[in-house]
Amino acid sequence: MKKTRVLWLSAISCNGNTHSFLNYPYLEQFLSDFEFIYHPVLESDYSLEDITACGIACDILLIEGAISSEFQRADVAITQIIESYAQEVKKIVTVGTCATFGGIFGENDNVTGLHFDKEKRTDTFEHYFDKTISISGCPIHPEVLVNTLYAIKKELLISVDKFLRPKEYFAYTVHNGCTRNEYFEYKIDNHKFGTLEGCMFYEHGCQAPYTQGSCNKILWNEVNSKTRAGLPCMGCTEPTFPKQNLFHTKKNMGIPQNLPVGVAKRTYLTLAGITKAFTIERLEKKLFDD
Amino acid sequence: MIKLIEKIEGEAKLNFNFKDNKIDFVDIKFMSTRNIENILRGKSPLDALVINPRVCGICGHAHLIATVGALEDCYDDLKISNKAKTIRELTLNFELIQNHFKWFYLTMLPLFGHKQQVLKATYPSQLMAKAIALFGGQYPHTSYAIVGGVVCEITEMDKIKLQHLITETIKFVEDNLVKSENFSVCKNIDNVFKMEGDLPNLLRQIKEEKLLERGKSYDRFIAFGANSYFKKGKSLKTRVSHAISLNYVKESEIPSSFAKNVSYKEKYYEVGPLSRAMINKIPLVIDAHRKYGDSILSRILARVCEISQLLEHSKKLIQALDLSEPSFIEPPVDISQLNASGCSAVEAARGTLIHKVEIENGVIKNYEIITPTQWNLSGGTKDKQGVSQKAMIGLSDIKTAELVFKSFDVCSVCTTH
Repeated sequence: MKKTRVLWLSAISCNGNTHSFLNYPYLEQFLSDFEFIYHPVLESDYSLEDITACGIACDILLIEGAISSEFQRADVAITQIIESYAQEVKKIVTVGTCATFGGIFGENDNVTGLHFDKEKRTDTFEHYFDKTISISGCPIHPEVLVNTLYAIKKELLISVDKFLRPKEYFAYTVHNGCTRNEYFEYKIDNHKFGTLEGCMFYEHGCQAPYTQGSCNKILWNEVNSKTRAGLPCMGCTEPTFPKQNLFHTKKNMGIPQNLPVGVAKRTYLTLAGITKAFTIERLEKKLFDD
Repeated sequence: MIKLIEKIEGEAKLNFNFKDNKIDFVDIKFMSTRNIENILRGKSPLDALVINPRVCGICGHAHLIATVGALEDCYDDLKISNKAKTIRELTLNFELIQNHFKWFYLTMLPLFGHKQQVLKATYPSQLMAKAIALFGGQYPHTSYAIVGGVVCEITEMDKIKLQHLITETIKFVEDNLVKSENFSVCKNIDNVFKMEGDLPNLLRQIKEEKLLERGKSYDRFIAFGANSYFKKGKSLKTRVSHAISLNYVKESEIPSSFAKNVSYKEKYYEVGPLSRAMINKIPLVIDAHRKYGDSILSRILARVCEISQLLEHSKKLIQALDLSEPSFIEPPVDISQLNASGCSAVEAARGTLIHKVEIENGVIKNYEIITPTQWNLSGGTKDKQGVSQKAMIGLSDIKTAELVFKSFDVCSVCTTH
């Protein structure tokens, strides 16, 4: 089968998605099915100047990094490079939270994602909205990106949410599959850093119950996830990333301000009340120390 | 003649001036900046632990370790367990190792006319990323090192997994990079020339193409990030002194570029694996330096050598980990109560990385980052050239100049933080 031609275009980025992609375990297979006409690290047949000079044939445009009309690559405005490829390609994929929502570099003035400035729609590339898929995350999970590219290659119908993220990966919350789930379910708010036990939602800013992503479904580097390790979820797949005071849970009258997706405050309070009836010794002590 | 140098985690523009068919001066220009230091201003100091790894996709972990060091330096009486210190050192080692594999196979080999061997870069670097993720949850972009220690707890079972990842990486080195069990203890560069493997092959090619002496600069080295393996110090040729102070490090603006210059006592120094090896007096690198000076050969050798040294050292660190110690000790006061300043220096893959923070009423008032590439690529004037500028002087072609330039393992995103 003919290789699918992909342009990996970096805008204002840290190259974190580039390196996260290199962690994909089956790269040999991928590189036999796809060909990069340009990639920030991997060899390509074309130089950046070739890419910016004229329209090289291309099937999928990948954009990594936030976008500003002032930012240039090889002396050509990034917006102009995007425009010259966007028309021709079958699909555009925003790779990472910066390209999707602006992310960390979106904190600078006039820097946004391709279609979104945080949650707000932008209009510069509006005419390409329907051919775009967003893979958010800081960085992207390599498997989520690669499988989406295969789905495009196979011309599968990809069901997306309002931010154009494939539902198959972003319908879950990061909370799904966390090894600390029981401490959340029974509202045991005794987390201390440096331990295997406890849930970071109550005190330490964990955003996993209201962040969409597959971090605990498809593990990172095939071995772990931030919340399993004991690091709060920072909400890096969301348009609001980065929020402030990331290691601290904002509360109103002792109740976390942000509740799990779709859960009303009143019902949450009722549930929390009921969990007070439990005394689960197993979860009050160390998992397996004496 | 202006050439756009690509695939250095971004680009740089090099303007080559020739005189009598030889490079006479090279003006180095970086074209953008991302204002990370501005983004940090006004934020909670702990948020820097999340923002700063995003300075760089390939050495972001060094930025995390530098950040936590700078924040902890704001305290007078903070306790960190040896266990937490060792875990941080291990994950930083793993990041250096993954970087070096990528640099050798993705950047260096193609410059010598070889096809890029993607899988030889990604297989071992994925093993190292897994090892970081065991502690930090993921790689890149974890924030697992926090003020007071690390967020994770590890078990004897985790140690077993970690040891296997290291053993597998060492096996990769011995099957591919240098096919000899003696490489890590080898003291004579002549013996490496006789070995088999991707490194010895490259070294022989350098010899055949008469590039042995290329890329020499000031022969002045510096490293600030001391830990259980690296020593802090400077080396003028081979004369090492350990009495150096961050107070003499100066950063200055350059009108033509977004990168800032960095000097020590008004002089430019090389940072990176060759500097570390000179200061640590690694016998094999000292021998190569004695024969070929601070050339591309010594730089390449030092970087690859570091892979083996850090893998061996990491094995020892894991054995010595005392799991009964706490991973995290609560700081005596919350950081939101502080009015203080702090700084730290760590050895990142490309050399000394310095972070400085000023906290006022519990928020970041000022943040300053000095990256390794700034040291190596300081763009001086014709009379006072930067390290990489000087290394390119006298070369007759741009292809070799690009090779010399990239032998410093340039990182554009770090430079344009």
